[in-house]
Amino acid sequence: MTDDIAIVGYAQSPSWRQAELTEPQFLFPVISEAIERAGVDRREIGFTCAGSCDYLSGQTFAFVMNLEAVGAWPPISESHVEMDGAWALYEAWVRLQHGDIDTALVFGSGKSSPGLPSEIYPLQMDPYTLTPLGADPVSLAALQARAMLDAGKITEREMAETAARSRKNAIGNPYAQVTADDDPETLLKEPYVTAPLRRHDLPPISDGACAIVLATGDKAKALSKRPVWIRGIDHRMDIHQPGMRDLTESPSTRLAGEKAGVGTAKVEVAELSATFSYQEKLLCEELGLDDDVEVNPSGGALAANPVMAVGIARLAEAARQIAEHGKHRAVAHATSGQCLQQNLVAVLEGD
Amino acid sequence: MTDAKQDDAVDPNAPVQGMDYFMQLEYHELLCPVVREFADALMDKRLIGHRCPSCGLVYSPPRGYCPICTVQTTKADEIEFQTRGIVTNYTVVTPVQYYGQEETEPFAKVSLQLDGGGNLSLQDLPDVPVEQVHPGMRVGIVWAPDGERHVDDVTNRSWGSAEGAIRGWKPTGEPDASPDEYSDKAF
Repeated sequence: MTDDIAIVGYAQSPSWRQAELTEPQFLFPVISEAIERAGVDRREIGFTCAGSCDYLSGQTFAFVMNLEAVGAWPPISESHVEMDGAWALYEAWVRLQHGDIDTALVFGSGKSSPGLPSEIYPLQMDPYTLTPLGADPVSLAALQARAMLDAGKITEREMAETAARSRKNAIGNPYAQVTADDDPETLLKEPYVTAPLRRHDLPPISDGACAIVLATGDKAKALSKRPVWIRGIDHRMDIHQPGMRDLTESPSTRLAGEKAGVGTAKVEVAELSATFSYQEKLLCEELGLDDDVEVNPSGGALAANPVMAVGIARLAEAARQIAEHGKHRAVAHATSGQCLQQNLVAVLEGD
Repeated sequence: MTDAKQDDAVDPNAPVQGMDYFMQLEYHELLCPVVREFADALMDKRLIGHRCPSCGLVYSPPRGYCPICTVQTTKADEIEFQTRGIVTNYTVVTPVQYYGQEETEPFAKVSLQLDGGGNLSLQDLPDVPVEQVHPGMRVGIVWAPDGERHVDDVTNRSWGSAEGAIRGWKPTGEPDASPDEYSDKAF
Protein backbone atom coordinates (compact mmCIF):
# COMPACT_ATOMS: atom_id res chain seq x y z
CA MET A 1 0.00 0.00 0.00
CA THR A 2 1.41 3.32 -1.08
CA ASP A 3 0.52 6.00 1.45
CA ASP A 4 2.19 8.93 -0.22
CA ILE A 5 0.31 10.20 -3.24
CA ALA A 6 0.43 13.87 -4.11
CA ILE A 7 -1.12 16.39 -6.46
CA VAL A 8 1.81 17.76 -8.47
CA GLY A 9 -0.01 19.67 -11.20
CA TYR A 10 -3.43 21.13 -11.88
CA ALA A 11 -5.17 23.34 -14.41
CA GLN A 12 -8.65 24.57 -15.19
CA SER A 13 -10.50 26.15 -18.06
CA PRO A 14 -12.62 29.20 -17.46
CA SER A 15 -16.23 28.41 -16.63
CA TRP A 16 -18.36 29.48 -19.59
CA ARG A 17 -22.13 29.86 -19.80
CA GLN A 18 -21.89 28.60 -23.37
CA ALA A 19 -18.52 27.45 -24.66
CA GLU A 20 -17.84 27.99 -28.34
CA LEU A 21 -15.21 25.26 -28.33
CA THR A 22 -15.98 21.56 -28.25
CA GLU A 23 -15.24 19.58 -25.10
CA PRO A 24 -12.02 18.01 -26.47
CA GLN A 25 -10.96 21.43 -27.77
CA PHE A 26 -11.21 23.14 -24.38
CA LEU A 27 -9.82 20.09 -22.58
CA PHE A 28 -6.73 20.17 -24.78
CA PRO A 29 -4.95 23.20 -23.25
CA VAL A 30 -6.13 22.29 -19.73
CA ILE A 31 -4.54 18.86 -19.88
CA SER A 32 -1.39 20.23 -21.47
CA GLU A 33 -1.09 22.90 -18.75
CA ALA A 34 -1.57 20.38 -15.91
CA ILE A 35 1.11 18.13 -17.38
CA GLU A 36 3.48 21.06 -17.93
CA ARG A 37 2.98 22.33 -14.39
CA ALA A 38 3.72 18.85 -13.09
CA GLY A 39 6.91 18.81 -15.16
CA VAL A 40 6.28 15.24 -16.22
CA ASP A 41 6.81 13.77 -19.68
CA ARG A 42 3.36 13.07 -21.12
CA ARG A 43 4.52 9.67 -22.39
CA GLU A 44 5.66 8.60 -18.93
CA ILE A 45 2.22 8.97 -17.33
CA GLY A 46 1.27 5.51 -16.10
CA PHE A 47 -2.51 5.83 -15.97
CA THR A 48 -5.16 8.23 -17.21
CA CYS A 49 -8.70 8.47 -15.91
CA ALA A 50 -11.47 10.80 -17.09
CA GLY A 51 -14.85 11.81 -15.73
CA SER A 52 -17.61 13.02 -18.02
CA CYS A 53 -21.23 12.35 -18.94
CA ASP A 54 -22.47 11.36 -22.39
CA TYR A 55 -26.00 12.46 -21.48
CA LEU A 56 -24.72 15.98 -20.93
CA SER A 57 -22.85 15.93 -24.24
CA GLY A 58 -25.77 14.35 -26.05
CA GLN A 59 -23.55 11.91 -27.87
CA THR A 60 -22.80 8.27 -27.26
CA PHE A 61 -19.10 7.65 -26.62
CA ALA A 62 -18.44 11.37 -26.30
CA PHE A 63 -15.96 10.41 -23.59
CA VAL A 64 -13.84 8.65 -26.24
CA MET A 65 -13.59 11.90 -28.19
CA ASN A 66 -12.24 13.56 -25.04
CA LEU A 67 -9.24 11.23 -25.19
CA GLU A 68 -8.11 13.18 -28.26
CA ALA A 69 -7.03 15.89 -25.82
CA VAL A 70 -4.83 13.46 -23.89
CA GLY A 71 -2.42 12.13 -26.48
CA ALA A 72 -3.44 8.51 -26.59
CA TRP A 73 -1.05 7.31 -29.28
CA PRO A 74 0.84 5.02 -28.89
CA PRO A 75 -1.97 3.44 -26.86
CA ILE A 76 -2.13 4.37 -23.18
CA SER A 77 -3.60 2.75 -20.09
CA GLU A 78 -6.79 4.64 -19.39
CA SER A 79 -10.21 4.46 -17.83
CA HIS A 80 -13.34 6.55 -17.57
CA VAL A 81 -16.01 7.14 -14.96
CA GLU A 82 -19.45 8.46 -15.83
CA MET A 83 -19.00 10.74 -12.82
CA ASP A 84 -17.32 13.93 -11.77
CA GLY A 85 -13.56 13.95 -12.34
CA ALA A 86 -13.12 13.76 -8.54
CA TRP A 87 -14.08 10.10 -8.82
CA ALA A 88 -11.65 9.68 -11.70
CA LEU A 89 -9.03 10.99 -9.29
CA TYR A 90 -10.19 8.44 -6.73
CA GLU A 91 -9.84 5.61 -9.27
CA ALA A 92 -6.33 6.80 -10.14
CA TRP A 93 -5.49 7.03 -6.42
CA VAL A 94 -6.53 3.37 -6.07
CA ARG A 95 -4.60 2.43 -9.23
CA LEU A 96 -1.45 4.09 -7.88
CA GLN A 97 -1.66 1.87 -4.78
CA HIS A 98 -0.48 -1.01 -6.95
CA GLY A 99 2.97 0.53 -6.86
CA ASP A 100 3.94 -0.39 -10.41
CA ILE A 101 3.39 3.12 -11.79
CA ASP A 102 4.25 6.46 -10.26
CA THR A 103 2.17 9.05 -12.14
CA ALA A 104 -1.43 9.47 -13.22
CA LEU A 105 -3.43 12.07 -15.14
CA VAL A 106 -7.05 12.66 -14.17
CA PHE A 107 -9.56 15.11 -15.53
CA GLY A 108 -13.21 16.02 -15.58
CA SER A 109 -15.09 17.94 -18.25
CA GLY A 110 -18.59 18.79 -19.31
CA LYS A 111 -20.77 21.05 -21.41
CA SER A 112 -24.09 21.67 -19.70
CA SER A 113 -25.06 24.40 -22.16
CA PRO A 114 -26.21 22.38 -25.20
CA GLY A 115 -29.02 20.56 -23.40
CA LEU A 116 -31.58 21.46 -20.77
CA PRO A 117 -30.42 20.29 -17.33
CA SER A 118 -34.03 20.19 -16.15
CA GLU A 119 -34.74 17.56 -18.82
CA ILE A 120 -31.48 15.63 -18.67
CA TYR A 121 -31.09 15.17 -14.92
CA PRO A 122 -34.39 13.41 -14.29
CA LEU A 123 -32.94 10.58 -16.36
CA GLN A 124 -30.47 9.78 -13.57
CA MET A 125 -33.38 9.21 -11.19
CA ASP A 126 -35.29 6.02 -10.50
CA PRO A 127 -36.97 5.36 -13.87
CA TYR A 128 -40.33 4.20 -12.48
CA THR A 129 -41.45 7.00 -10.23
CA LEU A 130 -39.06 9.97 -10.44
CA THR A 131 -37.96 10.16 -14.09
CA PRO A 132 -41.55 10.28 -15.41
CA LEU A 133 -42.26 13.03 -12.87
CA GLY A 134 -39.41 15.08 -14.30
CA ALA A 135 -37.73 15.31 -10.89
CA ASP A 136 -35.08 17.92 -11.71
CA PRO A 137 -32.19 19.17 -9.57
CA VAL A 138 -33.68 22.56 -8.71
CA SER A 139 -37.00 21.08 -7.57
CA LEU A 140 -35.26 18.42 -5.49
CA ALA A 141 -32.89 20.98 -4.00
CA ALA A 142 -35.87 23.17 -3.14
CA LEU A 143 -37.38 20.24 -1.23
CA GLN A 144 -34.12 19.75 0.66
CA ALA A 145 -33.82 23.47 1.41
CA ARG A 146 -37.43 23.52 2.62
CA ALA A 147 -36.75 20.54 4.90
CA MET A 148 -33.74 22.34 6.39
CA LEU A 149 -35.68 25.58 6.87
CA ASP A 150 -38.55 23.73 8.53
CA ALA A 151 -36.12 21.93 10.82
CA GLY A 152 -34.56 25.23 11.84
CA LYS A 153 -31.18 24.15 10.49
CA ILE A 154 -30.76 27.16 8.22
CA THR A 155 -32.37 30.48 7.39
CA GLU A 156 -32.91 32.18 4.05
CA ARG A 157 -30.62 34.94 5.29
CA GLU A 158 -27.81 32.45 5.89
CA MET A 159 -28.35 31.10 2.37
CA ALA A 160 -28.09 34.61 0.92
CA GLU A 161 -24.97 35.29 2.99
CA THR A 162 -23.33 32.14 1.61
CA ALA A 163 -24.20 33.16 -1.95
CA ALA A 164 -22.94 36.72 -1.44
CA ARG A 165 -19.65 35.51 0.05
CA SER A 166 -19.16 32.98 -2.78
CA ARG A 167 -19.72 35.58 -5.46
CA LYS A 168 -17.40 38.02 -3.71
CA ASN A 169 -14.66 35.41 -3.28
CA ALA A 170 -14.99 34.57 -6.97
CA ILE A 171 -13.99 38.10 -7.97
CA GLY A 172 -10.33 37.08 -7.65
CA ASN A 173 -10.81 33.76 -9.45
CA PRO A 174 -10.06 33.94 -13.19
CA TYR A 175 -11.97 30.70 -13.80
CA ALA A 176 -15.21 31.86 -12.16
CA GLN A 177 -18.40 32.64 -14.04
CA VAL A 178 -20.53 34.48 -11.46
CA THR A 179 -18.82 37.30 -9.60
CA ALA A 180 -20.48 40.10 -7.68
CA ASP A 181 -20.22 42.22 -4.57
CA ASP A 182 -23.78 41.79 -3.36
CA ASP A 183 -25.44 42.76 -0.11
CA PRO A 184 -27.34 39.72 1.26
CA GLU A 185 -30.16 42.11 2.14
CA THR A 186 -30.55 43.01 -1.53
CA LEU A 187 -30.39 39.39 -2.61
CA LEU A 188 -33.22 38.52 -0.25
CA LYS A 189 -35.49 40.96 -2.08
CA GLU A 190 -35.26 38.90 -5.27
CA PRO A 191 -38.20 36.68 -6.18
CA TYR A 192 -38.11 32.92 -5.74
CA VAL A 193 -37.15 30.77 -8.73
CA THR A 194 -38.47 27.64 -7.04
CA ALA A 195 -39.40 28.43 -3.46
CA PRO A 196 -37.52 28.63 -1.18
CA LEU A 197 -34.66 29.05 -3.65
CA ARG A 198 -33.81 32.36 -5.26
CA ARG A 199 -31.52 32.77 -8.22
CA HIS A 200 -28.46 33.30 -6.00
CA ASP A 201 -29.14 29.97 -4.27
CA LEU A 202 -28.68 28.16 -7.57
CA PRO A 203 -25.43 27.31 -9.37
CA PRO A 204 -24.82 28.74 -12.82
CA ILE A 205 -25.09 26.54 -15.91
CA SER A 206 -21.49 26.08 -16.97
CA ASP A 207 -19.17 24.47 -19.48
CA GLY A 208 -15.60 23.72 -18.42
CA ALA A 209 -12.84 21.33 -17.51
CA CYS A 210 -10.22 20.63 -14.86
CA ALA A 211 -7.19 18.32 -14.86
CA ILE A 212 -4.85 17.10 -12.12
CA VAL A 213 -1.60 15.15 -12.21
CA LEU A 214 -0.85 12.75 -9.35
CA ALA A 215 2.50 11.24 -8.41
CA THR A 216 3.68 8.85 -5.72
CA GLY A 217 6.29 9.37 -2.99
CA ASP A 218 9.77 10.03 -4.35
CA LYS A 219 8.46 10.82 -7.82
CA ALA A 220 6.25 13.55 -6.37
CA LYS A 221 9.20 15.00 -4.43
CA ALA A 222 11.36 14.92 -7.56
CA LEU A 223 8.70 16.64 -9.68
CA SER A 224 7.43 19.27 -7.28
CA LYS A 225 8.93 21.67 -4.77
CA ARG A 226 5.61 21.74 -2.99
CA PRO A 227 3.70 18.50 -3.54
CA VAL A 228 0.20 18.47 -2.05
CA TRP A 229 -0.23 15.14 -0.31
CA ILE A 230 -3.56 13.34 -0.30
CA ARG A 231 -3.59 12.26 3.35
CA GLY A 232 -7.03 10.73 3.19
CA ILE A 233 -9.76 10.21 0.59
CA ASP A 234 -13.08 8.40 0.84
CA HIS A 235 -16.48 8.40 -0.81
CA ARG A 236 -19.82 7.19 0.46
CA MET A 237 -23.40 7.31 -0.71
CA ASP A 238 -26.86 7.59 0.74
CA ILE A 239 -29.93 5.81 -0.55
CA HIS A 240 -31.05 6.96 -3.99
CA GLN A 241 -34.69 7.70 -3.20
CA PRO A 242 -34.76 11.21 -1.70
CA GLY A 243 -38.03 10.34 0.04
CA MET A 244 -36.39 7.56 2.00
CA ARG A 245 -33.82 9.62 3.87
CA ASP A 246 -33.69 12.64 6.14
CA LEU A 247 -32.78 15.42 3.73
CA THR A 248 -31.59 17.63 6.58
CA GLU A 249 -28.59 15.38 7.12
CA SER A 250 -25.81 14.00 4.96
CA PRO A 251 -24.57 10.86 6.70
CA SER A 252 -22.49 9.89 3.65
CA THR A 253 -20.55 13.17 3.91
CA ARG A 254 -20.05 12.62 7.64
CA LEU A 255 -18.78 9.08 7.15
CA ALA A 256 -16.52 9.99 4.21
CA GLY A 257 -15.10 12.85 6.29
CA GLU A 258 -14.40 10.54 9.21
CA LYS A 259 -12.75 7.93 6.98
CA ALA A 260 -10.65 10.59 5.26
CA GLY A 261 -9.49 11.86 8.66
CA VAL A 262 -10.84 15.40 8.47
CA GLY A 263 -11.06 15.74 12.26
CA THR A 264 -7.62 14.43 13.17
CA ALA A 265 -5.98 17.86 12.89
CA LYS A 266 -6.79 21.51 12.32
CA VAL A 267 -8.35 22.33 8.93
CA GLU A 268 -7.46 25.77 7.55
CA VAL A 269 -9.43 25.87 4.33
CA ALA A 270 -12.16 23.85 2.62
CA GLU A 271 -13.37 23.72 -0.96
CA LEU A 272 -16.85 22.22 -0.93
CA SER A 273 -19.13 21.26 -3.82
CA ALA A 274 -22.12 23.07 -2.40
CA THR A 275 -23.98 23.42 -5.68
CA PHE A 276 -26.89 25.05 -3.86
CA SER A 277 -26.31 27.72 -1.23
CA TYR A 278 -27.95 25.89 1.70
CA GLN A 279 -25.70 22.85 1.21
CA GLU A 280 -22.57 24.64 2.41
CA LYS A 281 -23.68 24.91 6.02
CA LEU A 282 -24.91 21.30 6.02
CA LEU A 283 -21.57 20.09 4.65
CA CYS A 284 -19.57 22.15 7.16
CA GLU A 285 -21.56 20.63 10.00
CA GLU A 286 -21.28 17.06 8.73
CA LEU A 287 -17.53 17.50 8.25
CA GLY A 288 -17.16 19.07 11.70
CA LEU A 289 -15.45 22.19 10.31
CA ASP A 290 -14.91 24.99 12.83
CA ASP A 291 -16.31 28.45 12.20
CA ASP A 292 -12.83 29.81 11.46
CA VAL A 293 -12.26 27.49 8.50
CA GLU A 294 -12.06 29.47 5.27
CA VAL A 295 -14.74 27.97 3.02
CA ASN A 296 -14.64 28.18 -0.77
CA PRO A 297 -12.07 30.95 -1.27
CA SER A 298 -12.45 30.28 -5.01
CA GLY A 299 -16.16 31.08 -4.89
CA GLY A 300 -17.03 27.42 -5.15
CA ALA A 301 -19.79 25.83 -7.19
CA LEU A 302 -22.10 28.84 -6.85
CA ALA A 303 -19.58 30.82 -8.91
CA ALA A 304 -18.68 28.13 -11.46
CA ASN A 305 -20.48 24.84 -11.94
CA PRO A 306 -18.99 22.90 -14.85
CA VAL A 307 -20.78 19.65 -14.10
CA MET A 308 -18.36 16.68 -14.14
CA ALA A 309 -15.46 19.07 -13.46
CA VAL A 310 -16.80 21.07 -10.51
CA GLY A 311 -15.82 18.39 -7.97
CA ILE A 312 -12.30 17.82 -9.24
CA ALA A 313 -11.95 21.59 -9.41
CA ARG A 314 -12.52 21.66 -5.63
CA LEU A 315 -9.49 19.35 -5.28
CA ALA A 316 -7.48 21.62 -7.58
CA GLU A 317 -8.53 24.75 -5.66
CA ALA A 318 -7.78 23.13 -2.30
CA ALA A 319 -4.38 22.08 -3.65
CA ARG A 320 -3.81 25.64 -4.87
CA GLN A 321 -4.38 26.94 -1.33
CA ILE A 322 -1.49 24.76 -0.16
CA ALA A 323 0.84 25.04 -3.15
CA GLU A 324 0.35 28.77 -3.82
CA HIS A 325 -1.18 30.39 -0.74
CA GLY A 326 0.83 28.93 2.13
CA LYS A 327 -1.92 26.88 3.74
CA HIS A 328 -0.93 23.57 5.31
CA ARG A 329 -4.10 21.50 5.60
CA ALA A 330 -7.19 21.62 3.39
CA VAL A 331 -10.37 19.64 2.81
CA ALA A 332 -11.91 19.10 -0.63
CA HIS A 333 -15.40 17.75 -1.23
CA ALA A 334 -17.22 16.56 -4.35
CA THR A 335 -20.79 15.42 -4.73
CA SER A 336 -22.83 13.42 -7.17
CA GLY A 337 -26.53 12.74 -7.61
CA GLN A 338 -29.43 14.68 -6.15
CA CYS A 339 -29.53 16.39 -2.76
CA LEU A 340 -25.96 15.42 -1.84
CA GLN A 341 -26.65 11.72 -2.38
CA GLN A 342 -23.04 10.67 -2.92
CA ASN A 343 -20.06 12.46 -1.44
CA LEU A 344 -16.30 12.32 -1.73
CA VAL A 345 -14.01 13.92 0.84
CA ALA A 346 -10.25 14.36 0.61
CA VAL A 347 -7.76 15.75 3.11
CA LEU A 348 -4.80 17.52 1.54
CA GLU A 349 -1.60 18.59 3.29
CA GLY A 350 1.63 20.34 2.43
CA ASP A 351 4.98 19.10 3.69
CA MET B 1 -57.77 -3.38 5.68
CA THR B 2 -61.46 -3.68 4.78
CA ASP B 3 -62.98 -6.55 2.87
CA ALA B 4 -63.77 -4.24 -0.03
CA LYS B 5 -60.08 -3.32 -0.42
CA GLN B 6 -59.11 -6.97 -0.31
CA ASP B 7 -61.45 -7.58 -3.22
CA ASP B 8 -59.65 -4.88 -5.18
CA ALA B 9 -56.19 -6.25 -4.38
CA VAL B 10 -53.90 -6.89 -7.34
CA ASP B 11 -53.95 -10.50 -8.48
CA PRO B 12 -50.38 -11.70 -7.93
CA ASN B 13 -50.77 -14.13 -10.80
CA ALA B 14 -51.90 -11.53 -13.33
CA PRO B 15 -49.52 -10.92 -16.25
CA VAL B 16 -47.16 -7.98 -15.82
CA GLN B 17 -48.38 -4.90 -17.67
CA GLY B 18 -45.99 -2.71 -19.62
CA MET B 19 -46.25 0.83 -20.86
CA ASP B 20 -44.38 2.88 -23.44
CA TYR B 21 -42.60 6.00 -22.26
CA PHE B 22 -41.38 8.18 -25.10
CA MET B 23 -39.10 11.09 -24.42
CA GLN B 24 -36.72 13.21 -26.41
CA LEU B 25 -33.80 15.42 -25.53
CA GLU B 26 -32.75 18.37 -27.66
CA TYR B 27 -29.21 19.70 -27.78
CA HIS B 28 -28.10 22.93 -29.36
CA GLU B 29 -24.35 23.39 -29.61
CA LEU B 30 -22.56 26.36 -31.15
CA LEU B 31 -20.41 25.51 -34.15
CA CYS B 32 -16.80 25.70 -33.03
CA PRO B 33 -14.62 28.11 -35.03
CA VAL B 34 -12.72 25.53 -37.08
CA VAL B 35 -15.90 23.71 -38.13
CA ARG B 36 -17.48 27.09 -38.90
CA GLU B 37 -14.58 27.71 -41.30
CA PHE B 38 -15.15 24.26 -42.85
CA ALA B 39 -18.86 25.09 -43.30
CA ASP B 40 -18.12 28.53 -44.76
CA ALA B 41 -15.75 26.89 -47.25
CA LEU B 42 -18.45 24.40 -48.28
CA MET B 43 -20.70 27.34 -49.16
CA ASP B 44 -17.87 28.53 -51.45
CA LYS B 45 -17.63 25.00 -52.96
CA ARG B 46 -14.30 24.36 -51.29
CA LEU B 47 -13.18 21.43 -49.12
CA ILE B 48 -10.70 22.33 -46.40
CA GLY B 49 -8.84 20.67 -43.57
CA HIS B 50 -5.87 21.14 -41.28
CA ARG B 51 -2.48 19.55 -41.83
CA CYS B 52 -0.64 18.77 -38.59
CA PRO B 53 2.57 20.85 -38.59
CA SER B 54 4.31 18.09 -36.69
CA CYS B 55 3.41 14.78 -38.38
CA GLY B 56 1.69 15.92 -41.58
CA LEU B 57 -1.55 14.03 -40.96
CA VAL B 58 -4.56 15.77 -42.44
CA TYR B 59 -7.89 16.26 -40.69
CA SER B 60 -11.14 17.17 -42.40
CA PRO B 61 -13.19 18.73 -40.99
CA PRO B 62 -10.41 20.39 -39.03
CA ARG B 63 -10.39 19.65 -35.30
CA GLY B 64 -8.07 22.38 -34.14
CA TYR B 65 -5.52 19.88 -32.93
CA CYS B 66 -3.70 16.71 -33.90
CA PRO B 67 -4.59 14.00 -31.36
CA ILE B 68 -1.54 11.95 -32.34
CA CYS B 69 1.02 14.69 -31.69
CA THR B 70 -1.08 16.66 -29.16
CA VAL B 71 -0.33 19.91 -30.90
CA GLN B 72 -2.93 22.53 -31.70
CA THR B 73 -3.61 23.44 -35.33
CA THR B 74 -4.75 26.84 -36.59
CA LYS B 75 -5.77 28.70 -39.72
CA ALA B 76 -2.07 28.65 -40.66
CA ASP B 77 -2.33 24.86 -41.04
CA GLU B 78 -5.35 25.04 -43.34
CA ILE B 79 -5.17 23.27 -46.68
CA GLU B 80 -7.66 22.97 -49.52
CA PHE B 81 -8.46 19.61 -51.06
CA GLN B 82 -9.23 18.56 -54.58
CA THR B 83 -12.83 17.56 -55.14
CA ARG B 84 -12.00 14.22 -56.74
CA GLY B 85 -10.95 11.07 -55.01
CA ILE B 86 -11.06 7.32 -54.47
CA VAL B 87 -13.61 5.32 -52.50
CA THR B 88 -11.51 3.58 -49.86
CA ASN B 89 -14.25 1.83 -47.94
CA TYR B 90 -18.00 1.74 -47.52
CA THR B 91 -20.78 0.46 -45.33
CA VAL B 92 -24.34 -0.36 -46.26
CA VAL B 93 -26.93 0.76 -43.75
CA THR B 94 -30.11 -1.29 -43.71
CA PRO B 95 -32.65 0.78 -41.81
CA VAL B 96 -34.48 -0.89 -38.95
CA GLN B 97 -37.87 0.71 -38.56
CA TYR B 98 -37.43 1.81 -34.97
CA TYR B 99 -39.48 4.73 -33.66
CA GLY B 100 -38.28 7.91 -35.34
CA GLN B 101 -36.45 6.20 -38.22
CA GLU B 102 -37.01 8.13 -41.45
CA GLU B 103 -34.97 6.00 -43.87
CA THR B 104 -36.69 3.01 -45.45
CA GLU B 105 -34.26 1.65 -48.10
CA PRO B 106 -30.69 0.39 -47.70
CA PHE B 107 -28.07 3.05 -48.51
CA ALA B 108 -24.29 3.23 -48.64
CA LYS B 109 -21.94 5.61 -46.85
CA VAL B 110 -18.41 5.75 -48.24
CA SER B 111 -15.03 6.96 -47.08
CA LEU B 112 -12.98 8.91 -49.60
CA GLN B 113 -9.31 9.56 -50.10
CA LEU B 114 -9.06 12.82 -52.00
CA ASP B 115 -6.54 13.34 -54.78
CA GLY B 116 -3.55 15.21 -53.39
CA GLY B 117 -4.37 14.28 -49.77
CA GLY B 118 -7.22 14.46 -47.30
CA ASN B 119 -9.95 12.06 -46.30
CA LEU B 120 -13.68 12.43 -45.88
CA SER B 121 -16.03 9.92 -44.32
CA LEU B 122 -19.82 9.48 -44.33
CA GLN B 123 -20.22 10.51 -47.98
CA ASP B 124 -23.01 9.51 -50.39
CA LEU B 125 -23.00 8.05 -53.92
CA PRO B 126 -26.66 8.80 -54.72
CA ASP B 127 -26.62 7.56 -58.33
CA VAL B 128 -24.81 4.28 -57.67
CA PRO B 129 -26.90 1.21 -56.79
CA VAL B 130 -25.86 -0.03 -53.35
CA GLU B 131 -24.66 -3.39 -54.70
CA GLN B 132 -22.26 -1.63 -57.10
CA VAL B 133 -20.45 0.42 -54.47
CA HIS B 134 -16.90 -0.84 -54.00
CA PRO B 135 -13.46 0.35 -52.94
CA GLY B 136 -11.28 1.81 -55.68
CA MET B 137 -14.06 3.70 -57.45
CA ARG B 138 -12.91 7.09 -58.73
CA VAL B 139 -15.46 9.79 -57.99
CA GLY B 140 -15.96 13.54 -58.24
CA ILE B 141 -18.01 15.86 -56.08
CA VAL B 142 -21.53 17.02 -56.95
CA TRP B 143 -22.24 20.26 -55.12
CA ALA B 144 -25.76 21.22 -54.23
CA PRO B 145 -26.71 24.04 -56.62
CA ASP B 146 -26.33 27.73 -55.72
CA GLY B 147 -29.40 28.88 -53.87
CA GLU B 148 -30.09 25.39 -52.52
CA ARG B 149 -26.72 24.83 -50.91
CA HIS B 150 -26.74 25.06 -47.13
CA VAL B 151 -24.75 23.88 -44.11
CA ASP B 152 -27.59 23.60 -41.61
CA ASP B 153 -26.72 19.94 -41.00
CA VAL B 154 -23.03 20.57 -40.33
CA THR B 155 -22.33 20.19 -36.63
CA ASN B 156 -19.25 19.74 -34.47
CA ARG B 157 -20.01 16.02 -34.61
CA SER B 158 -20.94 15.45 -38.26
CA TRP B 159 -17.52 14.13 -39.23
CA GLY B 160 -17.52 15.62 -42.72
CA SER B 161 -21.09 14.66 -43.52
CA ALA B 162 -22.62 17.72 -45.19
CA GLU B 163 -25.59 16.62 -47.24
CA GLY B 164 -26.97 20.16 -47.53
CA ALA B 165 -23.84 21.28 -49.37
CA ILE B 166 -22.56 18.10 -51.02
CA ARG B 167 -25.28 16.42 -53.04
CA GLY B 168 -22.98 13.41 -53.27
CA TRP B 169 -20.20 11.99 -55.40
CA LYS B 170 -20.47 10.45 -58.85
CA PRO B 171 -18.18 8.01 -60.68
CA THR B 172 -15.83 9.66 -63.17
CA GLY B 173 -15.87 6.63 -65.43
CA GLU B 174 -12.11 6.12 -65.10
CA PRO B 175 -10.76 2.64 -64.28
CA ASP B 176 -10.69 1.74 -60.59
CA ALA B 177 -7.66 2.77 -58.56
CA SER B 178 -5.22 0.05 -57.59
CA PRO B 179 -5.56 -1.06 -53.94
CA ASP B 180 -1.92 0.02 -53.51
CA GLU B 181 -3.11 3.62 -53.83
CA TYR B 182 -5.44 3.51 -50.84
CA SER B 183 -5.29 0.22 -48.94
CA ASP B 184 -3.30 1.60 -45.98
CA LYS B 185 -5.56 4.63 -45.68
CA ALA B 186 -8.97 2.98 -45.65
CA PHE B 187 -11.20 3.91 -42.74
